[in-house]
Amino acid sequence: MFISRSLRAKATQLRSSPLQIRNRRRSYYTVDHPDPTPFSETESAILSSALSRVPTHGFSQKALKLGARDAGYLDVSTNLFPRGTFDLVNYHLVTRRMALKEEVQFPELDTQSGNKLGVGARVRILALARLRANKDIIGKWQDAIAIMAQPSYVSASLSELARLSDEIWYLAGDKAVDASWYTKRATLSAIYSAAELHQTQDQSPNFIETERFLDSRLEDLRKVSSLAGGFGGWVGYTAQSAVNVLRSKGVKI
Amino acid sequence: MNTTGIRALQPSRLLPSIRRTTEKGGYRCFSCSIRQSLQQSSPRKVPPQKDEAGRTTHFGFETIDESLKESKVKGVFSSVASSYDRMNDLMSLGIHRLWKDHFVRELDPGSPSVSGSLHSGSEEKGWNILDIAGGTGDIAFRMLDHATTINSDHKTRVTVADINPDMLAEGKRRALETPYARSERLSFMEANAEKLPTIPSNSVDLYTVAFGIRNFTDKQQALHEAFRVLKPGGVFACLEFSNVNNPVFNYVYKRWSFGAIPLIGQIVAGDRDSYQYLVESIEKFPSQPEFRDMIKTAGFMVPGQGWEDLSGGIAAIHKGVKPKTSSS
Repeated sequence: MFISRSLRAKATQLRSSPLQIRNRRRSYYTVDHPDPTPFSETESAILSSALSRVPTHGFSQKALKLGARDAGYLDVSTNLFPRGTFDLVNYHLVTRRMALKEEVQFPELDTQSGNKLGVGARVRILALARLRANKDIIGKWQDAIAIMAQPSYVSASLSELARLSDEIWYLAGDKAVDASWYTKRATLSAIYSAAELHQTQDQSPNFIETERFLDSRLEDLRKVSSLAGGFGGWVGYTAQSAVNVLRSKGVKI
Repeated sequence: MNTTGIRALQPSRLLPSIRRTTEKGGYRCFSCSIRQSLQQSSPRKVPPQKDEAGRTTHFGFETIDESLKESKVKGVFSSVASSYDRMNDLMSLGIHRLWKDHFVRELDPGSPSVSGSLHSGSEEKGWNILDIAGGTGDIAFRMLDHATTINSDHKTRVTVADINPDMLAEGKRRALETPYARSERLSFMEANAEKLPTIPSNSVDLYTVAFGIRNFTDKQQALHEAFRVLKPGGVFACLEFSNVNNPVFNYVYKRWSFGAIPLIGQIVAGDRDSYQYLVESIEKFPSQPEFRDMIKTAGFMVPGQGWEDLSGGIAAIHKGVKPKTSSS
């Protein structure tokens, strides 16, 4: 009696506040209702103008203050960002990740082999596009890496990296639902962050060096995974023959 | 002879404690002198009467008429003005100084002279800071020090406003020991935070209130007034005792604040009731999410989750930023 009444009360409560439900954060992802940008209008205004100050002033409090002024706010308005410079770095990471979806168009055929574009090739194109989006601020990106490596921001930075590699695999059309879902994301995260670190030292035009670096890391990955696959085959074959030898000796297996 | 003496003492000594246990929350022992003075002006206010004002608020655990709170709070702070620091040391276990330093450092007052700004006009003027309920100048001196030494900004100025002249006098006395006593960068004014008619709208960069807002009669009205005086983009920042998150720590902290602090107040300052009020007013202050929502109601944008807990929530910093195009 008591339970049923409280349940009914809860049900009416749910029915009476559809607006509240709509505004709540969903615990699942759906392509039909993409999450809105996590930044409010004011935050975007200040952060984007601050980002345009980064090439000269770095990822610093100074860039934030100048950004606030450029957007028509006051120096004190930077209190809107409790994590300070990390919020500026985070803005770059999030907006570049979200832009991937709009910016990258896949060609029909692979330019080198002429075959149909595979998932691996698409991952390569997406990762390169994301790296190229660092073009404007790459000179100051080492500052940003230092900020992200601060203990209080490490977990936020790592989860943003995970979101990026998830986005890349998703956009590349990967449909895996086995354990490789995790290993793919983990390896791509490792490769991407190494490539980004390499990029901070890259002086070549249009980041040719970084592109090469990324290619060779992806090639390594292919080799390692084919090696792992080969090793698995060898183990299976050996075990099978061992069983067969034992059977031929009359052991009942 | 002895027995009569004891009997004479008994009612006044024992009655409060007995009554406190029986009517929990209804009665609180307030300074006798203040209660007498109130009784002269008006009869018992509990339960509140529906007179023309009619609205009630809380004073510690007691419910009183709104019109009375101001004078009662005044009484408390007049009596503790001289021992204010000692009081804060007791209530925060001595770490309120660190909180205040952190509060000011995070706000980072003062504009460093930066080149390449599009609005170079505003940077020359420094910040206009209004420190509400900052009678003793604790926050004001820290702000000026930070602006001067960290940001080498010699233009930023602070107006210290307090409703209580005794607290302001304490602040003025302390200001003499700082380099700002005779400069134009520091000024004092006696004002009620709910009505600031002398301060024009859209004129303040930073509005701070540290350990003051829980004593306000109408907090929401004070927030609206803060919203009015702030420039678009200006910041409301509040440092206040708040709710401890960890239940175990909360139990220990509550035992400390309700058990020990009034007793220490009695021993150290000879004024139990003012200290009793202070711990009760902390208990009655809205929780972090509630106060965050009050700030939003006034029209502010709140950064992140809206507050930052200090020392597990013994105190919390709340901030709000006035949007550029205000809807109100």
